[in-house]
Amino acid sequence: MFYINEVGRWTQRTMNDANLHRWFQEAVLPNEAMLVRFIRRNWPNSDDVVDIRQDVYEHALIGAQRAIPVTPRAYLLTIARNILLNRARRAKIVSFDLVADLEELDYLAEGYDAENTLVARDQLRRAEAGLDLLPPRCREVVRLRKLEGMSTREVAAHLGVGHHTVERQLTLGMRALVDFMLGGEGRIVRKTATVPPRQEAGHE
Amino acid sequence: MSEARRLEALAAQWLVRREEPDWSQRQQDELNAWLDESMAHKAAFWRLEHGWREADRIAAVAPPPSRRTSSWMSYLPRLTALAASLLIAAGLGFIMLPARPQPVLAAKTDIGQRRLLELGDGSRIEMNTRSAIRAQVGRDEREVWIDKGEVYFEVFHDSGHPFVVHAGDRRVTVLGTKFSVRRDRDRVIVSVAEGKVRVDDESADAPARQSVITAGDIAIARGASMLITQKSEEKVSDQLAWRNGILRFDQQPLGEVIAEFNRYNLSQIAVSDPAVAQMRMGGVFQPGNVDAFLRLLEDAYGLHVSRSGETIKISR
Repeated sequence: MFYINEVGRWTQRTMNDANLHRWFQEAVLPNEAMLVRFIRRNWPNSDDVVDIRQDVYEHALIGAQRAIPVTPRAYLLTIARNILLNRARRAKIVSFDLVADLEELDYLAEGYDAENTLVARDQLRRAEAGLDLLPPRCREVVRLRKLEGMSTREVAAHLGVGHHTVERQLTLGMRALVDFMLGGEGRIVRKTATVPPRQEAGHE
Repeated sequence: MSEARRLEALAAQWLVRREEPDWSQRQQDELNAWLDESMAHKAAFWRLEHGWREADRIAAVAPPPSRRTSSWMSYLPRLTALAASLLIAAGLGFIMLPARPQPVLAAKTDIGQRRLLELGDGSRIEMNTRSAIRAQVGRDEREVWIDKGEVYFEVFHDSGHPFVVHAGDRRVTVLGTKFSVRRDRDRVIVSVAEGKVRVDDESADAPARQSVITAGDIAIARGASMLITQKSEEKVSDQLAWRNGILRFDQQPLGEVIAEFNRYNLSQIAVSDPAVAQMRMGGVFQPGNVDAFLRLLEDAYGLHVSRSGETIKISR
């Protein structure tokens, strides 16, 4: 992560790891809400959304090593479209909406601009709201960490629970809060969530 | 569990452990190796890292008091509890009656801390390490005093009520814009990210002088003199990199780079050799990670690092 040569803006040069890191956080992640909405609208099974999102990010990073995408939003949606088409082909799903929406990628990429700005301005309120959504014990652990700056050991001593309990609550809380900060629902997902796939209609 | 959720859980564990006080170089090496294994690992880790840092903003919010009171409240008969809460509400209402003039708000950050505050007028400010401010923001006046440190402002546009920042003997006046003001004793640095601001010299003996600086400009004022650097949006964005938890340098003398690090850490780095202090360097760093920075000085620049307690000496 540390390097000595001159650091350019990510729009100019080839990507080394530090540039890639920064580009991903500054240019890609602010689009998560839009990306997730796009996936949800075009994929029948909402249980797959997190996997598809992760796939999109992985491919976005791999692709950006070679050439720097000038418009991150359109770039993400293009990758998402390809991944959805591939999955659809494998699962033998044909969704009319998928085809229709794909032609409107540019329109989408532009249309969500105002909304993103709004989210950025509202991060403080979002952080508070996200924290409030957590179950009480989890919220307390996150609060002690973020506000009081306690280590896991200190939180464990403070609450009189085990080190592993704290770490587990903290990672669960972190994941839910991050999801919420990036525009998601901020719900805690525990590991056993293998609900039989719901076959929803492919539109909203 | 899906593959993405499994990765996310792993990444969260790494992130939690990296924040622990006993995080070691060996663990860092292990994390780096894990990240280098696949782009999927990086995607999951970087995503959590970013969102978790965004959530730092809750540090600016006082903890909700309701949970504290609920445990003893539940022991009281319900009616008493209701009466008590009515009393509390009435009490709060009384305290919250409009007080004029607006009270002065004071806030500070410790070394290595950042803090985000919302002023009542819709403006937001973000305080960097070791900073102290006072603010008076009401219907008629919007004023902030920087006693020390560095503050980034996003001022809510209100043409009827200029927003005024006092730093040392400089006064910065704006209508609505994004900029930062940094004060190191008598030196004041104003960096404008958006819009324009007016900088006045407030010292009593100075003849009235003012300069208007616009986006991309950085003004450095000391005593009666003020230097305005040429327009460079890149420089302004380097100057504001702390808001993302990083320090960014572009061919700056090592002496200046070290002074920046020292703002964020208890351990203080010192260079006595002026030739070493003049060496130019650039790069992106985490302000709290002094060790990585020192290793870089040793490995890449062949400098010698010696420690005694909180003092670190750099020499050739």
